[in-house]
Amino acid sequence: MTGWLLDPLDSPFVVRALAELLILAVACGPLGVWILLHRHAYAAESISHGMLPGLVLAALVGAPILLGAIGGVLVAAAGIALVARDVRLGSDVGVAVYVSALFGLGGLLALVPDAPARLQELLFGDLLGVDGTDLAVAAVLAAGVALALAAGRRPLAVAAFDPTAAGALGVRAAGWELVLLALLAVTTVATVQGLGNLLAVALVLAPGAAALNLARRLGPALVLATALAALSGVAGLLLSYHLEVAAGAAVALCAVALAGLSVLAPR
Amino acid sequence: MGFPPYLERALLEMLLLSVPAGLLGSWIVLRRLAFFTHAVGSAAFPGLVLASAWGIAPPVAALGTALGFGVAQERLARSGRLAGDAVTALLLIGALALGVVLASDVFGSGAEVDTLLFGSLIGLSAADVWLTAGVAAAVLGLDAALRRDWLAAGFEPGGARALGLRPATTDRLLLAAIAVCAVVALDAVGALLVAVVLIVPAATVRLVCDRLRPLRLGAVSLAAVEGLAAVWLADALNVGAGPALAVLGGSVFALVALCAAAHRRWTT
Amino acid sequence: MSQVVVRGLQGGYAPGRAALTDVSFSAAGGEVVAVLGPNGGGKTTLFRALLDELPWRRGEVGLSGRPAYVPQGDRTRLDFPLSALDAVLMGAYARTPWFRRIAARDRAAARAALERVGLAAEAGATFGALSGGQRQRVLIARALLQDAGVLLLDEPLSGVDSVSAARIIALFSALQAEGRTLLVATHDVGQAAGWDRVLCLNGRQVAFGPPATVLGTETLRQTYGAELVVLPDGTAAVGVGHHAH
Repeated sequence: MTGWLLDPLDSPFVVRALAELLILAVACGPLGVWILLHRHAYAAESISHGMLPGLVLAALVGAPILLGAIGGVLVAAAGIALVARDVRLGSDVGVAVYVSALFGLGGLLALVPDAPARLQELLFGDLLGVDGTDLAVAAVLAAGVALALAAGRRPLAVAAFDPTAAGALGVRAAGWELVLLALLAVTTVATVQGLGNLLAVALVLAPGAAALNLARRLGPALVLATALAALSGVAGLLLSYHLEVAAGAAVALCAVALAGLSVLAPR
Repeated sequence: MGFPPYLERALLEMLLLSVPAGLLGSWIVLRRLAFFTHAVGSAAFPGLVLASAWGIAPPVAALGTALGFGVAQERLARSGRLAGDAVTALLLIGALALGVVLASDVFGSGAEVDTLLFGSLIGLSAADVWLTAGVAAAVLGLDAALRRDWLAAGFEPGGARALGLRPATTDRLLLAAIAVCAVVALDAVGALLVAVVLIVPAATVRLVCDRLRPLRLGAVSLAAVEGLAAVWLADALNVGAGPALAVLGGSVFALVALCAAAHRRWTT
Repeated sequence: MSQVVVRGLQGGYAPGRAALTDVSFSAAGGEVVAVLGPNGGGKTTLFRALLDELPWRRGEVGLSGRPAYVPQGDRTRLDFPLSALDAVLMGAYARTPWFRRIAARDRAAARAALERVGLAAEAGATFGALSGGQRQRVLIARALLQDAGVLLLDEPLSGVDSVSAARIIALFSALQAEGRTLLVATHDVGQAAGWDRVLCLNGRQVAFGPPATVLGTETLRQTYGAELVVLPDGTAAVGVGHHAH
């Protein structure tokens, strides 16, 4: 039994992947809870989909994926913020148009040239390929996000719970929404290396959803989400190692499965 | 015509798709179903992977997963434990992840997965086109029959019941219709870009159009024109129609949005 | 000494489009001012102006300190994972720096506030599991914790059970005795008759003054327009449509 659990650790790739996932869990867990409490699941999904052209361009010119991720996220987020304001169209339609266009552009850039741009890795991640630099970057970003969320816990709670009265309670709700979305962008950039732009939000939304279903209070929910994100990482890596399937997708699948199971828990 | 057969089929397919794109697309835009549409298309991905592995007809497998997605979405959203769009996002990601995990076993190179996700110009068979034609006709009929229900339910769900309509049933039919159209659009534009054909043209027309009939007619026309142009572009660039339509449709949308905004600024 | 002084206030949500004009009134400590008006007539706009949250605003607003605000009951999230006590503690956030824990004194005051609204036993209950009236009382307790001189209450009694309503009214008297000023947006003309001042709004200020002077049929007609119903015995009543903001 222990062999089954510990064998994967013989591979340095798995060890680094595990480190990456545990680092990311620290940010993704709490962030997911806040994203769900602020009802931004769609924004999370959209930002990560819309960053594809940035990733592809970076891959095509040989630049680090990190730069492509940052550029892609900025373009995606800025556009989404602009488009979401059109009341006539409805924010979700405008965002859907913008994000599909960006995503299609990314696909175009990736598929047109004869030299492949490692599209699969960009879409679904290259978890077993993370190196020391990636880990360092992830650590810095994740720590930053986690600290910011901890420091902003009270205003974020007020802004989500009672935006109408937030001003009277000393909280600038609109400002904190932007902070949350900025932290979402940073976390997406950190997660995209390992899980790819289609699956990155799994580690954000799924553990958060599960935690909110299982915990009755905010504090426990935040801690539980981190634990569940870490658990998804471990379970996913085990699955990937023993069944020989894609690592990032296995982690995402475990996370979503946990969220699914949490719905069955009694109220 | 002097077109090679694959091109003829592609052009015909996009022309036929303009009917659901315009009619259903208008409803998608008016009833705020954009996220659902994108998700139901993407959710077909694991079904398509299995279809390749088990030799089932892709539309059948895709329909199976799409409907499974729809049922799961409704059940989970109704249980109240999770917000609607959170459920959609999680099901979407779960489906994609499942597809990738299955594809690790099934496919050798990455090319087939790319085709499933982004569509292909040369992969359309005559049967696919016939299927699309059938679906387009069905959409025409369904729309004619349920148009008023869909409008009433979208406008004020509570009042619809008082008018003697049954919004729950007719709305489920709308979602089912969207799922079916997503399935037939899949082979042309790919699982991940279903939104570009079903949403973008209608959204573009909606930017400048307030009334239902011109919206629907405009959406169908624009979808047809954009679809044909996208096929030409895709053929020139040797990609699927999906990415080409995304770039084309997105650019037109941006242009119209800018013009509309400028017009508003100038006339206020 | 006046706690609220407003002169020539106008403001709105889109530049150039005033949702409210011409408002001038003042209220002293210990007074309860009823704010009457139809839906969309400007009651909530006035509160937002006083909280300095209107996109644009002109005129003078003088307030002694930041007011506490109790919004309409159906605006808060019911699925939020917090207890009644947690909700009340939000009233202390403004005075607690982000790196400090909430002071023990504030925690005790929060429990005392829940006691005052009659919900001490429900301190640990999940907020969303409480009844409408209880939730409203929790939000009032939150306002109490802020210890503000001016309280703005947006229809605190609508949709509230009679037990909660009675407690809330009793609380108003206690707050008056403490020298606080209450501005209460309401549709209940009968209740307004029992308070110190009445302010009638319908996009603009229709009247302000003691209830005996203000609550005549003509003023009410100007305020409520078609929503006004004059009963056979000469008293006026207001037909209120369901709130759909």
